[in-house]
Amino acid sequence: MLVLTRKVNQSIIIGEGVEVMILEVRGEQVRIGIKAPRDVAVHRKEIFELISEENVSAAGTSPDDLPTPDKPA
Amino acid sequence: MTQQLQSTRFGALDYAAEDIIHFPGGLAGFEDRRDFVLVEHAPDSPYQWLQSVDSGELAFLLVEPGLFVPEYAPEMPLRAVKNLELEESTPRVVYTIVTIPRGRPRDMTLNLAGPIVVNVETRRAVQIILEGDEHPVRRRAFPEAEQAAA
Repeated sequence: MLVLTRKVNQSIIIGEGVEVMILEVRGEQVRIGIKAPRDVAVHRKEIFELISEENVSAAGTSPDDLPTPDKPA
Repeated sequence: MTQQLQSTRFGALDYAAEDIIHFPGGLAGFEDRRDFVLVEHAPDSPYQWLQSVDSGELAFLLVEPGLFVPEYAPEMPLRAVKNLELEESTPRVVYTIVTIPRGRPRDMTLNLAGPIVVNVETRRAVQIILEGDEHPVRRRAFPEAEQAAA
């Protein structure tokens, strides 16, 4: 992993069109601004992982388990 | 021209190129699966399946969230709006992915944090990742079973 030291209002450029700027540092929290082309998805990792895991669970759903009028939930 | 795919759940499915719903970025965790078709679960059922064209075993159960959560109206992230080229007047459909644990239909949940939005005109779609905590990943569709009275 590349490790860089930055100050507030300094940025990092990644590839073409992605800019990550340090906006504010307060105690343990860092506010970051991200500029990216629209085809680059930017998410907090834990939320993305939560939804990925739920998609995996959802992909295990069987048509046999769907509630129907004669087989209500 | 009609093509055919072999699906695990529904057997052989015929589809035309214009039936395909294209996810330019795939779905979270399934980024390399980009082309899907909609399969109705049963006549008049509100449920549909999003069946992968490339993987016969991959399908997601979809329902329009309003059926269970009428107040659900997530704000579309600007990035998704641009990605889907959505104008004010562009017809769109919002689905939620349904999870049913094997053999426990009563524990069905809806993923309100990762809805799917389809631009009906272009048939492009995205799974939106909603930042923030107001939309749960597992929203129960039915209340928990009450304990039987003693």
